[in-house]
Amino acid sequence: MTAIEVHDLHKSYRGRVAVDGVGFTAADGSVTGVLGPNGAGKTTTVECIAGLRRPDRGTVRVLGLDPRRDRRALRAVLGVQLQEAALHDMLTVAELVRVHRSMHRDGADPERLIAAVGLEESAGTRFDRLSGGQQQRLSVALALVGAPRVVILDELTTGLDPRSREDVLELVRELAAGGVTVLMVSHRMDEIERLCDRVLLLDDGRLVADANPAGLISAAGLTERVRFRTAGGFDRSALLGLSGVDEVTRVGEEVVVSGAGDLVGVVGTELVRQGVVATGLREQRPTLDDAFLELTGRRLDAGRSSAGRNSAGRNGEVAA
Amino acid sequence: MSTRLPPAGWAALVGAEARMVARDTAGLVVPLGLPLLILVMVGLTTAGVPPEVFGGRTPLEVVGLPLAAAVVVGMVGVVNVPSFLAHYRRAGVLRRLGVTPAGPVPVLVAQGVVGFAQVVAGCLLALLVAMWGFGAGPPSSPGVALGGLLLASAAFFALGGLVAALAPTTNAAIAAGLVLFLGTGAVGGMFGDASALPGPLAEAGRVLPFGATVHVLGAAWRGVPPDLAPVLGPAVTAVVAGLGAARWFRWE
Repeated sequence: MTAIEVHDLHKSYRGRVAVDGVGFTAADGSVTGVLGPNGAGKTTTVECIAGLRRPDRGTVRVLGLDPRRDRRALRAVLGVQLQEAALHDMLTVAELVRVHRSMHRDGADPERLIAAVGLEESAGTRFDRLSGGQQQRLSVALALVGAPRVVILDELTTGLDPRSREDVLELVRELAAGGVTVLMVSHRMDEIERLCDRVLLLDDGRLVADANPAGLISAAGLTERVRFRTAGGFDRSALLGLSGVDEVTRVGEEVVVSGAGDLVGVVGTELVRQGVVATGLREQRPTLDDAFLELTGRRLDAGRSSAGRNSAGRNGEVAA
Repeated sequence: MSTRLPPAGWAALVGAEARMVARDTAGLVVPLGLPLLILVMVGLTTAGVPPEVFGGRTPLEVVGLPLAAAVVVGMVGVVNVPSFLAHYRRAGVLRRLGVTPAGPVPVLVAQGVVGFAQVVAGCLLALLVAMWGFGAGPPSSPGVALGGLLLASAAFFALGGLVAALAPTTNAAIAAGLVLFLGTGAVGGMFGDASALPGPLAEAGRVLPFGATVHVLGAAWRGVPPDLAPVLGPAVTAVVAGLGAARWFRWE
């Protein structure tokens, strides 16, 4: 069954196009990631799905409900965690969870929910005295307080320290395991790769790719690489003859083998057979980062100070 | 925008707003403290006024208590409540509530309920101090007094709604609210007998919510029927400002 259905969605703000013909479906119980650089239309898209914005054109259905027309019915089954949405700042964690719980007919047990997001020790702390990470975890808890069947999470791990991030991601995994449909917006490719069955790649208001993470990488025509260093020579044609190997190039002392399959195993065995002394043999898998660059010609985190894992180096290689 | 909030939800929301108001201690000083100060000043400085001047009642009863009540209603209605609502919009609280089954409307209602509870508490406190400290008696026409208080609340809370609707920030809401409060207060007798003001100003002050509240409550204590203009003034204010607030209120 389809949980989320978006067809030909358009939205402009004062003449500036934010979302331009986005369409996709998300199956019941799936985890879908919405990925793209700042200003790609990610938040506008999910806000249209949450019923917070009226689309200029196109249709949205969540569990068959129209987010604007069936607003009330939708609120009972949809949990939303918003970017930069504050709460009553002088109330404590426990008070906020209980107040939000009381606004739903059915839902989670407040104490268990607070424990689930790891805020037991802060239950009596006022919202304005929580750290950014704690506030973020509370906002996730409030999205889940009504025991929703569909959850929208917008930038849920922004501002979290590594441990909190792991906890929150684990929570999402548990949600999905429990059959809840998740639509999550993220800047972080690693999160999407780990959690999502599907990834929607948005760029400049348009959907540029819709596939599973591995499919997206192969759609971008990216190959796996194995690198090693060696001072002496080796039999290049023998390497090229191995199954899965497409290309062997030498850059200074480093050799790069491109291809698919169990590349590192095949190349390693062959080097040992040839008696070549190779150091630093390592595998390099293309990431969604690389796929985004390949598909749009731009870096996903361009302009962001917190550039991802050693991405600068990879950037150079793909461009070369 | 209708909502279907379970009764427990309403109770929890009113409780949440009450906690917010109670924890904002600075916001409680003026509505609860200033009226008492006014009462004490009027009580101490008018001890020698002969009873005939105010139809057998004391200046404390006919002027002091009505002033105190107008200060409570005005301050809560046009400054405190809108500052909370503007803050809720500014910070994204209303937006967050917009994705709950209840929607953002109940929080406005709850804030109004708590505001009115503050009005009742402030007026009761002033009345008790006046009765125990200065020997004041109850109004000669309790019905008129109650009606006057409800009318004053309707007018000031509607004005407060308009302030919340139009003010872009919390500070703008407080500033606009204070200007409205002090302005209507000044021409309504908060800083001394308004009948000494130039004619048109005194006339305006008498029908604007503050002066009108003082007049209607003063009449209730004396046991005479209030004039029509000070009753119509707040009623028209309530309707016009209420419609304006509903028309222009923004949720984010």
